[in-house]
Amino acid sequence: MMWSWIPGNWSLIWHLTWENAKLGVLPALYGLVLSLPLGVIAARWRWFYPPVLTVINILYAVPSLALFIALIPAFGLTDTTVIIALTVFSLCVILPNVVAGLRAVPAPVRQAATAMGYGQLRRLVTVELPLAVPLIIAGLRVGVVSGISLASVGQLIGVSSLGYLFIDGLQRSFPTEIYVGLVLVIALALVCDLILVAVRRVLTPWTAGPRESRRARAGRLVKVAG
Amino acid sequence: MITFEAVTKRYPDGTVAVDALNLEVPEGRTMVLVGPSGCGKTTTLRMINRLVEPTQGRILLDGTDVKSRNPAQLRRGIGYVIQQTGLFPHRTVEDNIATVPVLTGWPRKKARARARELLALVGLDQELAKRYPHQLSGGQQQRVGVARALAADPPVLLMDEPFSAVDPVVRASLQDQLLSLQSELRKTIVLVTHDIEEAIKVGDVVALFRPHGTLAQVAPPEELLAAPADDYVAGFVGFDRGIRRLSFVPTAGLVLDASPVLPADVTVAKALGAGQPWICVTDADRRPRGWAEAAALAGTPADTPLGQVATEPVGHTFTVGTDSLRAALDAAVLSPAGQAVGVDSDGRVLGVATFDQIRAAIQAAGTPAADARLDQRIPEGPRS
Amino acid sequence: MSFFNWAWDWVTTDANWHGEDSIPQQVLAHLGYSALPLLIAAVIAIPVGAAIGHRGGKAAVAVSNIANAWRSIPTLGLLTLLAVFLGFSPLTWLLPLVVLAIPPILANTAEGVAGVDPGVRDAAAGVGMTTWQQVARVEVPIAMPLILVGLRTSAIFVVATATIAAYIGLGGLGRFIIDGLDSNQYGPVAGGALLVVVLAVIVLALFAGLTWLLTPAGLRKQAKTE
Repeated sequence: MMWSWIPGNWSLIWHLTWENAKLGVLPALYGLVLSLPLGVIAARWRWFYPPVLTVINILYAVPSLALFIALIPAFGLTDTTVIIALTVFSLCVILPNVVAGLRAVPAPVRQAATAMGYGQLRRLVTVELPLAVPLIIAGLRVGVVSGISLASVGQLIGVSSLGYLFIDGLQRSFPTEIYVGLVLVIALALVCDLILVAVRRVLTPWTAGPRESRRARAGRLVKVAG
Repeated sequence: MITFEAVTKRYPDGTVAVDALNLEVPEGRTMVLVGPSGCGKTTTLRMINRLVEPTQGRILLDGTDVKSRNPAQLRRGIGYVIQQTGLFPHRTVEDNIATVPVLTGWPRKKARARARELLALVGLDQELAKRYPHQLSGGQQQRVGVARALAADPPVLLMDEPFSAVDPVVRASLQDQLLSLQSELRKTIVLVTHDIEEAIKVGDVVALFRPHGTLAQVAPPEELLAAPADDYVAGFVGFDRGIRRLSFVPTAGLVLDASPVLPADVTVAKALGAGQPWICVTDADRRPRGWAEAAALAGTPADTPLGQVATEPVGHTFTVGTDSLRAALDAAVLSPAGQAVGVDSDGRVLGVATFDQIRAAIQAAGTPAADARLDQRIPEGPRS
Repeated sequence: MSFFNWAWDWVTTDANWHGEDSIPQQVLAHLGYSALPLLIAAVIAIPVGAAIGHRGGKAAVAVSNIANAWRSIPTLGLLTLLAVFLGFSPLTWLLPLVVLAIPPILANTAEGVAGVDPGVRDAAAGVGMTTWQQVARVEVPIAMPLILVGLRTSAIFVVATATIAAYIGLGGLGRFIIDGLDSNQYGPVAGGALLVVVLAVIVLALFAGLTWLLTPAGLRKQAKTE
């Protein structure tokens, strides 16, 4: 392990880390933005969900590298290719959680809100979505963490990310680079994960207690499935 | 026989669920543990089959400390029924019931045959055997739970709020079934409930717990009703306990008067001649048809047979000898004549009892005789 | 030309189906690289997951967090690292893939077992089953649908990532992709990617069938009525 290599290549390391972060986080956010409306529709109109779910399951099975490749003719060997592919991946992970989160809102709560005079949109935004936040964030966590890790694969089609350190390290038989890459990818992913956990705590102060209802736990299983 | 010797259960955070409990569960009888939420009754029950381990003290089952036995082996010899049934969703009803026999090594065929016997015993249709638990109603599931507990014919049966999750009609039917099973099987049953009425109905002995794991009173149900140990017990047992206690007093000694009872073919003249303010009109089979008020008959032609006169409904009757004094009292209250109609087991009128006669019987009953009543289970009667 | 054109042309070229490094050969190799790690991961993760789920407590809660953190490990990084030190040994590709496959199986098994109805678990203990019997005869069968979801997720990840293994010189469908990228031939790149997708979808279908087979009848029917 050649520690001296690190300070010497600081700008490279920083650049790659930043690129990787973008390639991991942006798609997850895009995925979230897409999942929310789709999820609301699927939770509301039950017939909509099964076909959507089937498509999603198939898309989820598509290996990221293959998806990168499939998009090359259209978008070239660029960031966009990776971002679009990972957005699809994030959608596959977050959408089921949005649906599960909305469905996990207890019917009595929804009915009480309606009985108190909440219109549908207001009920959705002020009651149902907040209650669905834990599950949605759980899905987001998976999306972000996986995305950051998968973004490194983008290097194989020439898109800059921390994956460069792996490939270069192998070509030069230089493990130091690989160690640095590994540590950074993992650290980056974990930092984002912790940020999301903090966001969840802030958004849902009522879940501060240690007890988890069986409903919430059942909903959590969807996230684990991803 | 199950004995608790100074049993205490203390949890790591300091809560004491059961506090130096000394209790003896009589063999072949039903003991009901009853009390408010958190009083330790369920914990006590679960210490018998070692699902919970006591912090201090010991529990003896037929003289042996339960701790000295292997837990799994111990539990195979004890039937266990819980509120949520805990039926295995991935197995058929039949295989659920056959669980313990299979565990103890029976060949599956024999175990399934035994399961079918038990289905019949708990009053379920044989065709349910191959169904899955989720396809059954709540009451049916509970019965399967009981069948499963009885499959290996254990001498002891533990029941934790077994009937609390079903609606009152189903619950009453399940309680009756338990009583009839117990009269046949004579198991040592320990049943936990929060419902004092259930305890009184089903228990041979009732152990009433105070809020923090100690006992308030251990006694047969009618003693609990007639002589509560203190205000807490009286309060828990509830209002109306004097009348409720009458459920345990038989009508065997009740004096009946046959003179107001007249068949339908008797004429009004003869009826009025008898001098009774109210006449119980019966048909040819001596079954009651209704009450006729003498004052209302004044304008009717003298030779009209009673059968053609307008009568008021009887309300309900009580079966002499098998029904309790409470049923008789209730019949009298419902009757327009203020007299209870006593019938035999075929429904034929034997005579009537006035409030006075019933009052006399109540006062003669006095305080409950301890042992004599233990063997007599008096049915509540159709109303209760 | 679009991705599909390239892929279709290449896949339908007869020459690619014969000789050394033909399509059938690489498909078989790919299956081998996928099946073995999956099997090893299942053998490790299912018993451990069942034990954790049965005991509950802090370990069970930690499992899903650990599984999520685990996802951050970039497989490419692990692969290249091991390639530097171990060269061409089987461990080079086996270890990263097993590491990749464990978390979904472990987390889902733990959640599935822990999520079995508490009344059922109490009854299983109450009728006199030993701990092993409770787990093996009651908890795992009931958790089977979730365990299979975990296995399916792992299978998909492994099939996808075995593609990357070609980067360190292995065969499999990734061979076409990597070689094609190196020699600027998009045909094999697209074709290889398409084949991987087809393989992944076949795995999906296989698992759907397996789930139907292995779900205890009582639960199968129950799922239908819900």
